[in-house]
Amino acid sequence: MPITVRIPTPLQKMTNGKAEVECSAGNVRELVDVLEKEFPGMRERLSEGGKIRRFINIYVNDEDIRFMSKEDTALKDGDSISIVPAIAGGGYNRRVRR
Amino acid sequence: MLIINEDDLQTIFANCSREYPNEACGILAGSPGVVEQVYAMTNARPGLASYEMDPEEQFRVMKAIRRSGLGIVGIYHSHPSGPAYPSGIDVERAYWPGTLFPNFPDAAYMIVSLAHPSNPAARTFAISDGQISEVELIVRQA
Repeated sequence: MPITVRIPTPLQKMTNGKAEVECSAGNVRELVDVLEKEFPGMRERLSEGGKIRRFINIYVNDEDIRFMSKEDTALKDGDSISIVPAIAGGGYNRRVRR
Repeated sequence: MLIINEDDLQTIFANCSREYPNEACGILAGSPGVVEQVYAMTNARPGLASYEMDPEEQFRVMKAIRRSGLGIVGIYHSHPSGPAYPSGIDVERAYWPGTLFPNFPDAAYMIVSLAHPSNPAARTFAISDGQISEVELIVRQA
């Protein structure tokens, strides 16, 4: 059984509207490479300088990879991966104070 | 247009007042244009005049919303001393990093101003295509 990757809405433009894709990869870094091969441009959307971008969270079977081995987190067939944009903002007060 | 029950709006105001002077944040779940459930969320970066939802809690809540057959119709946060209008950072974070792809295209962004703490004010906006446009907020009385 391959790895299932849940694609967030803003990136579904790159997967021809698919909300889920299947692939095989040994770890998260490889997963980014595999997705890039299949959906060119995906690497830049997900990572910067080899690291997953800030404000992008990746979960392997409900576990945040930041609390695992980050980009080196091992993957195996049957795993379910979710790519989720952080919900964040603010900064008005800081700007007003300046 | 975003429709919300008065009780739910008061729940949001209470959450924002409780977190004051930090920013509060939460997710509004429902069917298109109608809030049916308010999830007050943990601000993982309080005290920086900013908010970032606790990632694991966000993931858990998003999953629960999906499983309940609802969608994310809104995202709220407070501006403890600023206006009920999106800041530059609010706008930037509404898009996937480095793009103009909205992270949550079906969600309206509600901002609660506590500039007058005893009289919170909420306004709601769509942030897409590089534009901010106000979304009418309709408060349904119980």
